Amino acid sequence: MLTLIVILAIIAGLYMAWNIGANDAANSMATSYGSGALTLKQIIFVAALLEFCGAVFAGQRVTNTIAKGIVPIQLLDPHLVAIGALAALLSAGFWITLSTYYHLPISTSHSIVGAMLGFGLAAVSQGYLKLTDIQWGVMAKIVASWVISPLFGAFIAFLIFMAIRVAILDRYTISKVEHVFRYLQVLTACYVAFAHGSNDVANATGPIAASLGFLGQKTPIWVLAIGGLGIAVGIATWGYRVIETVGKRITELTYTRGFSAEFATATTVLSASMLGMPISTTHTLVGSVIGVGLAGGLASVDLSVVRKIIISWLVTVPVAAGLSIALYTLMVIFI
Amino acid sequence: MKFIRSVTDVFGYSPFKALRLHAEVCGRAVGLLQKQFHAYRKGKFDEVEKLRDEIDELEHEADKIKEEIRGNITNSLMLLVDRHDLLNFLTVQDEIINYCEHVGHMLTFRNVKTAPEDIWDEFNILLAKIMEAVNEYEKLMDHIATLVASSFSKKEIAEALLHVPEIENLEHECDMIQIGLHNKLFNADDMHPLDAQLMITWVVHLGEIANNTARAADRFRIMVLSR
Repeated sequence: MLTLIVILAIIAGLYMAWNIGANDAANSMATSYGSGALTLKQIIFVAALLEFCGAVFAGQRVTNTIAKGIVPIQLLDPHLVAIGALAALLSAGFWITLSTYYHLPISTSHSIVGAMLGFGLAAVSQGYLKLTDIQWGVMAKIVASWVISPLFGAFIAFLIFMAIRVAILDRYTISKVEHVFRYLQVLTACYVAFAHGSNDVANATGPIAASLGFLGQKTPIWVLAIGGLGIAVGIATWGYRVIETVGKRITELTYTRGFSAEFATATTVLSASMLGMPISTTHTLVGSVIGVGLAGGLASVDLSVVRKIIISWLVTVPVAAGLSIALYTLMVIFI
Repeated sequence: MKFIRSVTDVFGYSPFKALRLHAEVCGRAVGLLQKQFHAYRKGKFDEVEKLRDEIDELEHEADKIKEEIRGNITNSLMLLVDRHDLLNFLTVQDEIINYCEHVGHMLTFRNVKTAPEDIWDEFNILLAKIMEAVNEYEKLMDHIATLVASSFSKKEIAEALLHVPEIENLEHECDMIQIGLHNKLFNADDMHPLDAQLMITWVVHLGEIANNTARAADRFRIMVLSR
């Protein structure tokens, strides 16, 4: 029975990873396509390869946070943990699919964190855990990181683009500058893909790792590789369409702007990965784009998107948690 | 496309291409007006009316562009320039084509038969000068794309604004020609009073085309410098 649940969790995790590749990875990479720094084929190759590398080589810490940072799984029966992880993956996956259908700018990271919290709360309600066993300190840090990361991205992007303006754009002809940054943007595109893989893979691998039971500090590499593979497949089978659609609408982001936004996003996301914080790459990217705009880099930035993102924060966690509580409870009763 | 979550909402409406297009439509209208005067002088009134309709169409096109810009610039947009500066600038630029339309219609009101040749020659000179001012104005507007691309770098601003004093000079020259024309018209005792009256109105309205071109250039400068 346990094996079956674990296999189901792996399948659900793969679906999660596929979603991350299809939408989130694609959004992060679309800036490079919109500016024309890379062709679609090149982007798919770069994204798939570096997302995988990021997942395998730097995905460890965030995976740990999601697997056992919020819910202390070592205190629970492995069966319950596996069911909880499966419930979390299914509810986050459902919420993400629904939001994607309705074009809502929600975050996969927020969804899975909410869903894991839901599993924890359900375990509390059944008396397997005390309310104080839930790692509220970690939860508070995670939520703080959601607020800080877009702001941090905006700040770095602002600094970088300001520096480019003062040191370069005021002195040299724009066409020459853009030409140089075309090559630099290829590097930042790789940087974004690596950073994104290192952070978002955990949304799939965190619960898978949890379903395998408490394994100490290390998540097996094969788990991370499964996540990385799922993301790569997501990019190749659906993400390219998202890259095309999104890229066509963001031609505003020229090489210098794309470089600034991507560098700021990747730096923020990779820092979060090092700290084990599951943040939203897309929200960080939006913050970074706004930072470029504040530095005078964009003809027009629509700030109403900020309101939409804040609403998506407020909605995602309770919904994902609620779904997860319901699914977990049902499964515990019937299995 | 279904099943997509994207970051594109953060990119707002950019009015700069539309502003450039609006300026181009104004320039085309002035060109047609010059043609219309030539046709009038040659007595080709069918063509005069045809050109009036073409100017009307351009004016309508310019209005649509103006509405598009006004309708899309919402409070939530963070633009490279001040919203009010931009909208004020657009209003003035739009006056260029509005006055073209006025004059275009006034050419169809009456067949002026009693005007001496030297007055007609002077009108040709005035129209050529206005055309020159508008061409210079379009050169200024050609800088918009580069200004945006360079995030309004000091270098690009300085280069673009070199056109503004040129436009102001040409507008001043138009003023001088207008004064000469008024002088002649008010002393043309042999002209039918209604012919003189109509031609005086033409001069005044043609003057407004040049005035508004210079004013738009000035507003453009304010918009670019006060950001």
